[in-house]
Amino acid sequence: MKDVEDRAFVRSALAAHERPLLRFAASLVGRAHAADVVQDTFLALCKADRDEVRGHLAAWLFTVCRNRALDLKRTRGRLSELREEEEMESPDSGPASRVERQQALGRVERALSGLSPEQRQAVILKFSGGLKYKEIAEVMELSVTNVGFILHSALKALRTQLSDAGQELEIVRSAP
Amino acid sequence: MNQSSEDPRLTAYALGELEADERAAFEARLAEDAELRAELEAVRRTAELLESELARSPELALSTAQRQTIEQAAPAPKKSRKLRWRWALAAALPLLLAVGGLTMRSAPRDVQGERGEQDEVPPVLYDLRRADEPSQALAGKAKGEKKESQGRFDTESYDKYSDNPFIRVAVDPRSTFSIDVDTASYSMVRRFLLQDGALPPKGAVRIEELLNYFSYEYPATRRDEVFTVSTEVDAAPWAKGHRLVRIGIKAKEVPAADRPASNLVFLIDTSGSMNEQNKLPLLKRAFKLLTEQLDRRDHVSIVTYAGSSGLVLPPTSADRKGEILAALDQLDAGGSTNGGQGIELAYATAAEHLVRGGTNRVILATDGDFNVGVTSQSALVDLIENKAKSGVFLSVLGFGMGNYKDSTLEKLADKGNGNYAYIDDFAEAKKVFGEQVSGTLVTVAKDVKIQIELNPKQVEAFRLIGYENRVMAHQDFNDDKKDAGDIGAGHTVTALYELVPAGGKVPGASVDDLKYQELGPLKPAAGSSELLTVKLRYKMPDGQTSQLLELPVRDERESPGSASPDFRFAAAVASFGMLLRDSPFKGDASYEQTLELAESGVGEGRDVAARRELITLVKKAESLGGK
Repeated sequence: MKDVEDRAFVRSALAAHERPLLRFAASLVGRAHAADVVQDTFLALCKADRDEVRGHLAAWLFTVCRNRALDLKRTRGRLSELREEEEMESPDSGPASRVERQQALGRVERALSGLSPEQRQAVILKFSGGLKYKEIAEVMELSVTNVGFILHSALKALRTQLSDAGQELEIVRSAP
Repeated sequence: MNQSSEDPRLTAYALGELEADERAAFEARLAEDAELRAELEAVRRTAELLESELARSPELALSTAQRQTIEQAAPAPKKSRKLRWRWALAAALPLLLAVGGLTMRSAPRDVQGERGEQDEVPPVLYDLRRADEPSQALAGKAKGEKKESQGRFDTESYDKYSDNPFIRVAVDPRSTFSIDVDTASYSMVRRFLLQDGALPPKGAVRIEELLNYFSYEYPATRRDEVFTVSTEVDAAPWAKGHRLVRIGIKAKEVPAADRPASNLVFLIDTSGSMNEQNKLPLLKRAFKLLTEQLDRRDHVSIVTYAGSSGLVLPPTSADRKGEILAALDQLDAGGSTNGGQGIELAYATAAEHLVRGGTNRVILATDGDFNVGVTSQSALVDLIENKAKSGVFLSVLGFGMGNYKDSTLEKLADKGNGNYAYIDDFAEAKKVFGEQVSGTLVTVAKDVKIQIELNPKQVEAFRLIGYENRVMAHQDFNDDKKDAGDIGAGHTVTALYELVPAGGKVPGASVDDLKYQELGPLKPAAGSSELLTVKLRYKMPDGQTSQLLELPVRDERESPGSASPDFRFAAAVASFGMLLRDSPFKGDASYEQTLELAESGVGEGRDVAARRELITLVKKAESLGGK
């Protein structure tokens, strides 16, 4: 039964965290290398002791992901940081809202790219990964208070950047 | 922006990250400072926007090859691989049949004509464990009554949709079963009778679920007690000379204020088949009602499954009710069901935010129409069984479906340490999520098993009424590894045994006397006036070892007919169930007698309205010409 359980465990972890991890990895090493880093992360999960992971799976995955990404950076020299504007498309959106959505998405992504790397990572961990302050602190090796400051300042910066786009965003968000 | 917008506590508060005392202090400031409130609103809007925009993920995905590499690395190479394959196949077979069965049934049905047809359906539809012996199962079902006495000691091959037979105490003095707090069968019977105007198919009538739909006035627990067990003995109304023993269990009440924090994941089926008035719209109202009962201790996530599964709402504190309600509002039905993925995601979400010592529960709402591939189906059963061990419990809510899917859902709840309710209208939603919300959410004990031992000096034979699919092997009673039913706060569980007093004639007995051995000598306790002893085992919700309660029962009713209203009402419910099932053990039971019993048992407790409804149902069934 053990391996059935393991398989289900890894599969459910994949289902829940694949995308946030990819996004996080992309913010560290760029989109081209993100998938490799995330694959490595899940391979590490397969080997990990379940008891060690249980209860804080998300924080564990993001920590491993960050370490792998940093390793990769060190071995390969400087890699491109997140540059997503030109690639940001949402292929599955309906034709009616497509243009608007693309614009909105573009703005959010652009706003993100205006943040410091630390702020950007914290924002992705919080709003894509759904991590708590404590978990973010664990992943980024910072204090909880520090995380509080970083997210507070990041949100303020994002708000300012997004404020002139606000009108437009409201329209897009209320579209079905 | 004013001074307060410089305070990182503003963001921490908006994101639900402040500790209780800080939060209270901050709320005091909020109450006085309109500007701060506006700031807070702006932070929340930005946070929401980020969450929703980041969730709308662009083409970020692992390649198929990468995914395969990971999945292959997942199980450590094991020699049992082949075996597991066979097991998976065996599990898949009945599911395949079940799916076929569902498809057939989806044509508009002739309700009146359904009853006879129902009985012809191979029971393999009902029980995953029987995959390896479908022919035997078929044979057993065709004339269940003839087979059942042989099957009595083997829970695996027991045909659970036949009534439990009488067992001679000389042959087997014990009876062991797992408690069951499901109530779905009652709502389903009600739907058949009142909405469809037809007698329910026999297979849909599970007497223990009818009994447990009602709450009874059993003694309340005292400090530190998890349960009370009480018993009552009186004449069995439908069989002259027989005695009826009622065993009543009441779990401790947990007042709303003391309810531990909960981590709830609403797993909602939004497939196309849910697009009916008594499905998704009713479901939304039900979940809104539940949400209204929650507070800041609680977190809610919403996962949907249709063509693609998704986290619609990440874990959100229930002090942000508006967001939860809005997310529920936005649910739309469309696409085909992919139950497996949704369940995986729901459990992963629940596991991640596990609240130690709290309530961790996935609440699955569906019409049970899992039209997915066979592989995912067996994976789903794997998953549910395994997750049950992780401390995440499962509740299953059925909406608008017929009987066949009902058995699948009951099984899921059964394997997932859960309870199963069928929501046929808003009043039922109110019962499950309103009045009894603590019972639905808070499990006070798990793996609750009951074993009774009968005194051969007093009792000739006995029969457990209902609980057919909960009967356990005797040795499993003391085996803490064997899973059994769970009980929620304030729930009552009722079991009835019909006894034939010593020397009496045993109806339907088909076991011959033994040729080679006599019964051994009796122990001194047999000489007492005790009828039987009730033993109950349970574990605390997070415990591994069970506790034991023991209670001897005497038959000391002095004047006949002085039974309590609760006893009479329970007897009426059992009698009604046996009539609907056309049970071979119904004896002299009649609708007239059932009505009389029920009316004399309505009592004055808080359950009066529900009990009156039963009377309506009995009358309706009689008018429909039930036997």
